[in-house]
Amino acid sequence: MEQVQKTDVIVTAGVTKVYEADGVPVNALNGIDLTIRSGEFTALVGPSGSGKTTFLNIISGLDSPTAGSVWLAGKVLSEMSGNELSDFRRDNIGFVFQAYNLIPVLTVEENVEYIMLLAGVPKAERHDRVIGMLGAVGLEGVAERTPTQLSGGQQQRVAIARAMVSEPQIILADEPTANLDSKTGADLLEMMRRLNAETGMTFIFSTHDPMVMEGATRLITLRDGRIDTDERR
Amino acid sequence: MILKIAFRNTFRQKRRTILTALAMVVGFALLSLTIGLSDGAYGGIIEMFTRNRTGHIQVHREGYLDKPSLYKTIDNPSAVGAAIQNTARVEAWTQRVYGAGLGSVGEKSTAVQIVGVDVAREIRATRFDNRVIEGSVLAETASHEAVIGKGLAKILSAEIGDEIVIVSQGADGSIANDVYQIVGIAESGDDVTDRVVCYLHIEDAQELFVLEGRAHEIVVIVSNINWVDKVTGAIETRLNDPTLDVAPWQVVAKSFYRAMKTDQQGDAISRWVIMLIVAIGVLNTVLMSVLERTREYGVLKAVGTKPVQIFWLVVCEVVIIALASICVGALLGVLINYLFSIYGITYPEEITYGGMKLKTLYAEVNVRCLVIPAITVMISAVIVSLFPAVKAARIMPAKAMRTH
Repeated sequence: MEQVQKTDVIVTAGVTKVYEADGVPVNALNGIDLTIRSGEFTALVGPSGSGKTTFLNIISGLDSPTAGSVWLAGKVLSEMSGNELSDFRRDNIGFVFQAYNLIPVLTVEENVEYIMLLAGVPKAERHDRVIGMLGAVGLEGVAERTPTQLSGGQQQRVAIARAMVSEPQIILADEPTANLDSKTGADLLEMMRRLNAETGMTFIFSTHDPMVMEGATRLITLRDGRIDTDERR
Repeated sequence: MILKIAFRNTFRQKRRTILTALAMVVGFALLSLTIGLSDGAYGGIIEMFTRNRTGHIQVHREGYLDKPSLYKTIDNPSAVGAAIQNTARVEAWTQRVYGAGLGSVGEKSTAVQIVGVDVAREIRATRFDNRVIEGSVLAETASHEAVIGKGLAKILSAEIGDEIVIVSQGADGSIANDVYQIVGIAESGDDVTDRVVCYLHIEDAQELFVLEGRAHEIVVIVSNINWVDKVTGAIETRLNDPTLDVAPWQVVAKSFYRAMKTDQQGDAISRWVIMLIVAIGVLNTVLMSVLERTREYGVLKAVGTKPVQIFWLVVCEVVIIALASICVGALLGVLINYLFSIYGITYPEEITYGGMKLKTLYAEVNVRCLVIPAITVMISAVIVSLFPAVKAARIMPAKAMRTH
């Protein structure tokens, strides 16, 4: 394994994941070696079952690999306790899920400020940042609504605002445009590219969406749990 | 924020929350009623027992309670009584003389327990007149009259107006014997006592046993039975006499008190059984709720919520329902106990406890009726929430978010 550089935010070495499905072992990932550099706008593509979501879960510490190691922002994930992992995710990673996964009992404002609250950001600063971020994702005037009162596109914008508001190093997005119409998807992609350019955050997507693939600065194709192609643009 | 989420979560499945709360409210109210009835029953029994027999506090010559003897007397009962009367919270006092002898009416004879009572004081202190169910109470001055127990009257086939001959031994060693006219029949509520007791005026009893001016027992009634321990201490201090024993009713009637305590412990077990049944119901709904929100807990963990915060989220949710249930349960418990304290539960037949006969059971409204169910419901709720809370805290985010 080559030396981890300062600009490498994610490094994986021989990451393997084996699931048990009805008692039968299934190899979701087969020894993935990958380095993602700071500020990259990376798309993970591949057919269903190729291991995209599993890979995202493992590099974010939401799941643990059967074998291999993951370095994230200079830390070895397997060496962290449950609480350390929670803190690490809170401070370094923003998540955007395909199914939005907002907390239904919280308002838009509360959903967005939740991570900052966990991090102990003062109330006034939280409020200012939430309002600013909602403005940035085009959601002015909906702060007091609950997720069920929003459209799918609006919910995904809230999820993006939640992921970005605490200014993490890395944004991981699992099929962020899959449940959106093409115009909303294009708007969101444009917004994320702008944020990537302005803040230098690292974005990694899993996607089937050709529009997202087109916009990526790096395209990694997975097949049968292995890296098939890795193309920088 | 965790508290806010927990609070709002309780309103998401309103029907389930109401059912969970209802189980807790019913459990609280049942517990409250059980305690109210139990305290009411024991309070009634204690009141009857102390008022009719022992009084709240007794004073004896040192060692009399362990080994009663004709010779262990209080030599200046009037002076001791006067000192006791001046003690705060003392309502009344009376003095008694005890002795055993042979009682005969006509051809029939049996063993009798002679109780010499200071009639006027005994009426004030222990409502002696209420015990006389036939005939009249003893005269307030010594007149060679006797009031005998209902059972004793039956054994001796005695009637009002008959003469009873008592034969015993005087404190000076002489043969004591005298004749008394039966003026009344008494019922104390204790059949054993009623089969042997023969009440005489205290001066008649002192004359019979050659115990002039002396008494075996001073009985004290306090204005509130809950102050017995404090007043006992105050009397001890005031008398400051090492030859006298001052004892509360719990010491005087040790075996009765112990039996009652054991009985109360039995009640505590039944309370826990009620709560166990409620807890199982609550556990089921809490587990269902955790199962349903598995995905949400996964998301919360994914975005940085610590396992311990997820744990408290589940516990808080149950505690919030428990707090609301305690408030409603307290209102319901007080109302039910209040109604039963007025109307009571009437038994089809009289029941006997420790020699005391009870026909109607009244509940008591007191702090215990609220505090014990509140603590029990809260502890049960917290215990019940622990397992689901640990389960939620240990959820693996990736696996949880695959749940639909």
